[in-house]
Amino acid sequence: MTATPLHRTHARSDDLAAWRAVPPEVNIRPVRRRIAVRDVTANLGLIRVLVARDLKVKYKQSVLGPIWLFFQPFALLVAFVIGFHSVANVDTGGVSYALFALTGLSMWSYFSSASAAGALSLLGNTNLVRFTSCPRLVLTLANLLASLPALLVPAAAAVVAALMDGYGSANLILAPLAAIWLVLLTAAFTAITASLAVKWHDIPAALPFLLQVGVFLAPIAYPAENLSGVTRVLLTLNPLTGVIEAWRWCVLAVPPDGLALAVSLTLTALLAMGAWLIFGRLEVTMADDI
Amino acid sequence: MTSDGMPREVAVRASGLGKTYRLGERLRLGGAFTKRLRREPVHKRTIDALDEVTFDVMQGECIGIVGANGSGKSTFLQILSRTVVPTRGSLTVRGRVLPMLSIGAGFHLELTGRENVVLQGAILGVPRRTVLARMDDIMEFAELKRHADTPLKRYSVGMQSRLSFAIGMRFPADIYIFDEVLAVIDGAFRDRCLAEIERIVGSGPTILFVSHDLGQVARLCERTLWLEHGRLRALGHTEKLLERYRTRQTPPAGVDDGGP
Repeated sequence: MTATPLHRTHARSDDLAAWRAVPPEVNIRPVRRRIAVRDVTANLGLIRVLVARDLKVKYKQSVLGPIWLFFQPFALLVAFVIGFHSVANVDTGGVSYALFALTGLSMWSYFSSASAAGALSLLGNTNLVRFTSCPRLVLTLANLLASLPALLVPAAAAVVAALMDGYGSANLILAPLAAIWLVLLTAAFTAITASLAVKWHDIPAALPFLLQVGVFLAPIAYPAENLSGVTRVLLTLNPLTGVIEAWRWCVLAVPPDGLALAVSLTLTALLAMGAWLIFGRLEVTMADDI
Repeated sequence: MTSDGMPREVAVRASGLGKTYRLGERLRLGGAFTKRLRREPVHKRTIDALDEVTFDVMQGECIGIVGANGSGKSTFLQILSRTVVPTRGSLTVRGRVLPMLSIGAGFHLELTGRENVVLQGAILGVPRRTVLARMDDIMEFAELKRHADTPLKRYSVGMQSRLSFAIGMRFPADIYIFDEVLAVIDGAFRDRCLAEIERIVGSGPTILFVSHDLGQVARLCERTLWLEHGRLRALGHTEKLLERYRTRQTPPAGVDDGGP
């Protein structure tokens, strides 16, 4: 933040007048649910400031700073290459194993780090929840956006690696859609965990463990075709499966499992609706519960 | 804007306002949930933090709110600032509310003073341009011009509360709420804050002022509202009301004798 330029030290009265005029009268009554699209659209400035705050805080007093973004997926990649390729020799249908695992990990990296941080997005802002009226949804969304580097960096690495290996195809144009799908899915999941975490601290306690297990319950280190029967059904029921399949189709032109895509899309939509209802319901008592 | 049946001069109107809290843990092993499964009776203990509270605050008025701990002052202010949802009744608010329910709520210690002002502005919904325009003024009022770019974690508690107050005083609003916040700052700065509140009172905005320091209430507020056990005990001229309040207060407030 730089010093305020002198020519800006005088308040623009027209600006202020507009601001004052916004709520002529508000009627506060008992409600069962408090959430609105307006919470987000009317608070884009606040989201921007919160994201800037989270990013600044994340990398302050850290020597390696953003280099940590490479570390987590890279360490997992090495572990997968040793465990699934060198030891188990998993068949990845012609794609080099490291590239196959990297594409999967680039999606997982965001889901795991964003949902781990996001589950605490409300608990970590106790003062804001208890003493200010800023819409709580904004806190969770800002947290998810501040985790976006954990998506962009590994995803870019995966795309570059795929291009260098000669996998470029027209499918790549749709890669941003797969990434957006991932963010939506993560947002829905995180809105649920974050709002429940205000009441039940078991949620943030259980999440790291679930994420540790979760990396093996999605087609990240191995292709879904390697499974059959019950395990395949379980894998298909993981909404991340479809996202990863879609992403691999974009980056590596691997034909996706159509059923998995359809199931995951449906689950994402259901999760998003559930998140809206749950978050809105819990938002009413958040200041009391936190 | 005038055809809503509400006289123009009312800034805050509470009617039948109530807030009930459930006591005890909501859900845990061996708690109500398991009891329900076993079909054992569940005792829902509740407390009315606020009950049947009805009154008007006029525009441009500085109204004091007094009452013992747990009388519902903070609950009322939380409802007014929209952090807490009421259980019954309604509260009509006209104009922008700037709540100061706690010193430095929303401050982030890793960010500088200036960055925290921007953050507070965003949280309170003040336009960014206005925030930047008032930055120097805020820093001057807080006597922190030299430390504007120092991270807040290097501030003393006193510096943080000065910054918090300067923000509360210098951001524009129609209704200002001060909940016991003057208690934690001391000496000369408190006097400046009181003088500043007095200046604001005269210039149009409405102020709701909560304090245990009855001298401050008497100095600032023409009318005062007395809450007791979540109910409106009295509302009237500060001087007369405080006289009654003081005599009422003499028995130790520690024991809850079940109300008047």
